[in-house]
Amino acid sequence: MSRFFTTGSDSESESSLSGEELVTKPVGGNYGKQPLLLSEDEEDTKRVVRSAKDKRFEELTNLIRTIRNAMKIRDVTKCLEEFELLGKAYGKAKSIVDKEGVPRFYIRILADLEDYLNELWEDKEGKKKMNKNNAKALSTLRQKIRKYNRDFESHITSYKQNPEQSADEDAEKNEEDSEGSSDEDEDEDGVSAATFLKKKSEAPSGESRKFLKKMDDEDEDSEDSEDDEDWDTGSTSSDSDSEEEEGKQTALASRFLKKAPTTDEDKKAAEKKREDKAKKKHDRKSKRLDEEEEDNEGGEWERVRGGVPLVKEKPKMFAKGTEITHAVVIKKLNEILQARGKKGTDRAAQIELLQLLVQIAAENNLGEGVIVKIKFNIIASLYDYNPNLATYMKPEMWGKCLDCINELMDILFANPNIFVGENILEESENLHNADQPLRVRGCILTLVERMDEEFTKIMQNTDPHSQEYVEHLKDEAQVCAIIERVQRYLEEKGTTEEVCRIYLLRILHTYYKFDYKAHQRQLTPPEGSSKSEQDQAENEGEDSAVLMERLCKYIYAKDRTDRIRTCAILCHIYHHALHSRWYQARDLMLMSHLQDNIQHADPPVQILYNRTMVQLGICAFRQGLTKDAHNALLDIQSSGRAKELLGQGLLLRSLQERNQEQEKVERRRQVPFHLHINLELLECVYLVSAMLLEIPYMAAHESDARRRMISKQFHHQLRVGERQPLLGPPESMREHVVAASKAMKMGDWKTCHSFIINEKMNGKVWDLFPEADKVRTMLVRKIQEESLRTYLFTYSSVYDSISMETLSDMFELDLPTVHSIISKMIINEELMASLDQPTQTVVMHRTEPTAQQNLALQLAEKLGSLVENNERVFDHKQGTYGGYFRGECFRLLSSPGFWYPHSLSPGTPSTSFPSLSCRPEGRLPQKRGLHAPRWLPPAAISNGLLSSPLCLTPRLSNLEVLSHTSGIKSLFKVVMVDCLLPQRCVESIHLLIIFLSFYPHDRHKARMQR
Amino acid sequence: MMLTLMKAQYFLWGGLPTPWKKGTSTHRRGGTSLGGKGSRIRLDTERVKFTRDSWVVMETSQERDPSWRVQYQMEMMRSLRHVNIDHLHVGWYQSTYYGSFVTRALLDSQFSYQHAIEESVVLIYDPIKTAQGSLSLKAYRLTPKLMEVCKEKDFSPEALKKANITFEYMFEEVPIVIKNSHLINVLMWELEKKSAVADKHELLSLASSNHLGKNLQLLMDRVDEMSQDIVKYNTYMRNTSKQQQQKHQYQQRRQQENMQRQSRGEPPLPEEDLSKLFKPPQPPARMDSLLIAGQINTYCQNIKEFTAQNLGKLFMAQALQEYNN
Repeated sequence: MSRFFTTGSDSESESSLSGEELVTKPVGGNYGKQPLLLSEDEEDTKRVVRSAKDKRFEELTNLIRTIRNAMKIRDVTKCLEEFELLGKAYGKAKSIVDKEGVPRFYIRILADLEDYLNELWEDKEGKKKMNKNNAKALSTLRQKIRKYNRDFESHITSYKQNPEQSADEDAEKNEEDSEGSSDEDEDEDGVSAATFLKKKSEAPSGESRKFLKKMDDEDEDSEDSEDDEDWDTGSTSSDSDSEEEEGKQTALASRFLKKAPTTDEDKKAAEKKREDKAKKKHDRKSKRLDEEEEDNEGGEWERVRGGVPLVKEKPKMFAKGTEITHAVVIKKLNEILQARGKKGTDRAAQIELLQLLVQIAAENNLGEGVIVKIKFNIIASLYDYNPNLATYMKPEMWGKCLDCINELMDILFANPNIFVGENILEESENLHNADQPLRVRGCILTLVERMDEEFTKIMQNTDPHSQEYVEHLKDEAQVCAIIERVQRYLEEKGTTEEVCRIYLLRILHTYYKFDYKAHQRQLTPPEGSSKSEQDQAENEGEDSAVLMERLCKYIYAKDRTDRIRTCAILCHIYHHALHSRWYQARDLMLMSHLQDNIQHADPPVQILYNRTMVQLGICAFRQGLTKDAHNALLDIQSSGRAKELLGQGLLLRSLQERNQEQEKVERRRQVPFHLHINLELLECVYLVSAMLLEIPYMAAHESDARRRMISKQFHHQLRVGERQPLLGPPESMREHVVAASKAMKMGDWKTCHSFIINEKMNGKVWDLFPEADKVRTMLVRKIQEESLRTYLFTYSSVYDSISMETLSDMFELDLPTVHSIISKMIINEELMASLDQPTQTVVMHRTEPTAQQNLALQLAEKLGSLVENNERVFDHKQGTYGGYFRGECFRLLSSPGFWYPHSLSPGTPSTSFPSLSCRPEGRLPQKRGLHAPRWLPPAAISNGLLSSPLCLTPRLSNLEVLSHTSGIKSLFKVVMVDCLLPQRCVESIHLLIIFLSFYPHDRHKARMQR
Repeated sequence: MMLTLMKAQYFLWGGLPTPWKKGTSTHRRGGTSLGGKGSRIRLDTERVKFTRDSWVVMETSQERDPSWRVQYQMEMMRSLRHVNIDHLHVGWYQSTYYGSFVTRALLDSQFSYQHAIEESVVLIYDPIKTAQGSLSLKAYRLTPKLMEVCKEKDFSPEALKKANITFEYMFEEVPIVIKNSHLINVLMWELEKKSAVADKHELLSLASSNHLGKNLQLLMDRVDEMSQDIVKYNTYMRNTSKQQQQKHQYQQRRQQENMQRQSRGEPPLPEEDLSKLFKPPQPPARMDSLLIAGQINTYCQNIKEFTAQNLGKLFMAQALQEYNN
């Protein structure tokens, strides 16, 4: 309905919502609410009664119009959609239709549509050309309309009998259409409203007449009513009588005539009229001078926005000649502020006004208090400029904001007698009384915090790879400077809480920056007075470490909100870690117990925590503490969402997981680019430390069935590497690490080194460290050491003994290092060997089980569990739980030590194992059996059976074992008869026993005891 | 019943085009594409002394185009008839490593063969062992008992118990006699004379622990499966007994109530279908565990054989070393 009356103002939507029947605006209330919008209100009051009928029918006509358009362009899909809507709209209008009869235009469209569809349907050629959607829509629509039209059959036939009339109407319709559209552009003028009013007054009379007529001729009444409905916005009811028709035509003509001269003049006239109205209204209202002026002004710039071509005047603040005093200015300020946050308030203009006000205040020497007050408000309205949280400040606004804050700070510093605080009440403000200290309400801290937020937002929303970002980043120095000033100010005047807050702000701007100056200073110890002046000036600034220490300690001591302290600690740790003070960082982290309760913190703090952990891990890596590095990074890397967890970008996820709203929130949490931690560096550090840990571990536990992975992600990368059908030279960082791992597995440290440290990797990763060379040397050393370990694990079974000198040559490590590494391995029982001091050799004990022995052990375990399960079945059958031989013979299996020949010899109690104290030297094999005999083919050397310290001396005991097991065998039989377990399993146990008898039991026992 | 292989013919028909060599998953495990070919065997039954040429078809689960195979088979038969050789399709063969042939697939196809032609056998051929120097060729048939069970298609525990079948009596081995023509024999003799001494000592090689390792690994896998199977069976047993208890309780309660009602002079509660209330749990098919058991049995036998041989070798080696020292 509002189509014809749109003014494009805000009140329009409101009126259309409430505009069912009567739309008379409650003038008074509206006025209070929207003092700046006047003209529209005026017009709204003019809007009058529109019956429900009109509204419904207009809805229908609109729909019909779109359908006709769609028909013209053969868009059947659109037709279908609209037809469905039409059906619904008709359903809504049902009550009216019942009263008035089915509208003529409705019948017409139904009939036309059906004809049209049939025509399309017949047109085979056209149908073929039609696209799929349309064809589908056609068939559905055809069916639908057929069904639908059954209800209107009588109407349609009557319509079809009398098509000429409808043709007439068609013509009119077209006219009406064009008129409607032209109506739209001239809706502002009062003319249309006037005609409307006229029409309305006429309409009821027409209707009543029609009712009378209805009595007379039955057959035509339906058409009558339709006509009436059709021309709801039109003029009088059109009857089939020619006379009536003519009348209508003339009316139309007059309207067209009237419309023709409507030009700018008309508009101006309308404008004037409106203004007059506004004036009148104001008169009715209170007549305070300034208010009136303000309203006028508001009206003025509102109109500008509306697009009326008026020259923008400079807004005048006060009526000429008004004496400008504090009271007046304050009042004015309040007026301006009242509009704040209101719908339709032009925020830019408001800012301008305020700035003008400051100027006026300054010109009139109203004192600093007032200026400070207004400045506060200017900054606040600058922040308000953007309606929602997501958008960020425009650069010019941002610049203004910074300047403004700086000015404010200047004033505050210059006038120490001004007190600023948010807890100063509006009433207790003292803005001009120079005798007493000035008191102004407002919080500088909040402003600065808000500024910081805005800065973050700007950085978030700028493309980090553009020059623009750099430009913006230059402001960071300014931001820091402001924060520093505020900090100084608050240190003098603020409460501890405020100081804590500003300190935190300062910390947040410091913690992520690497202090190159301090680093330089560290590298070059002070040389007394030889330094140049410039250097001295450069070095003047406080060491960031000292600064952080001071600020954080203050917060630790004084802060009472947990959040600030948590943030401060995290930043402190981060800063320590960034500057490679690993132990301090670690201790602080451990002391804070943050790991325990960080999950209760809010997301930004959690992100900070993640960042800190990552930085800690990287720091540990730089120090060569691979294990710590791995542990610190494990959580964040294993999730595979490092990017998200660090707040450095959103992962592409399906929309089901998060809706638009959540995404917005997450976007707001992102860390600006200049704070990012390089993800590739992070992953590389993690993978390399995983490699240094995992490869020796894998080598040591080659045949261990229950070996666990240290790093799943690393294994995943290895597997990916293995799956590659064709292995080219590594390209990406991951491929480099995988290739290096493979080399390391073979103990080939040189290749490994060349894969980890080369041009590509330097460019990608290592050069990102502040002390890249140090890291590289550390890394080389680590690779050498771990390769040595891997080598020993993998190939110790091949050696009888190996000279340490050879090893130190191979791995380019000095002898003491090799010695210490091997000693450590021996102590940790990783390597079964002993050191021979005089010859500097490592003598292998060859006590590790061979592959076959390991397999046999595993098999024994599995058989044990199998038998246990089997026993349960047996229990079940018996009905008794805890079978009569449970755990007796099968414990034998699960503790391989028992199988050791000498303990099995009858009469020896099974507990008499040789004590552990004699290890490892004491357990050197007395007799070294068959390994590498001269006459055997070389292939036999690697043979598991032979290379083990195999001595076939316990021949007798083997036989004993065999005989002993026959007892078990019979036991087995009892169990197995029932559930088909093969007795022959037992026979394979023979074999086990033989192997296990070769197997040094004490080591195993040691394992069990551990 | 005895299976006589005519070696000449075996060699003659042994080689088939390579695509045929791709076969069951067991082939892949070994990594080589040795073996997997059709061959002609001669079947002698002891009683009726008839010999016929027979055609063994290779079965694979992932045959690309079965129609092609059938066609080929038919054509081959026709050709055989043309040259006036007895022809009958009496079985098929499978090549596996380490004797892992006791599978469901083998059981099913052997059953269908044996069902159609009573004398059908399956030849199990181990290409690895053969490559190592000892021809490994074994012929198996399903026992009549198993045939009965398979016909019934009922593998519930009760049915198996009733059939009194265990893993040991699933397959029966048919002894194989390989007969060569005299010409071949002569050739063999000649070849043997020419062969180098080193070849003969291959059997003494001690470096065969790989074989053992593989066997153990396979055995372990099977034992794992067996364990799982037993656990399954165990839960089934527990469930049934629990249900039995519940059923019993329910009946008792019913009875008590009915007694009370009777004493009060009311009519007893109507009988309800107990089997509807307590549906017996689905018994697990025991055939799989039977097969696994059979497989374990084969592995164990393999290991036993192998270790027995190798222990002998080891003792020999030691004795030799002592002697040398």
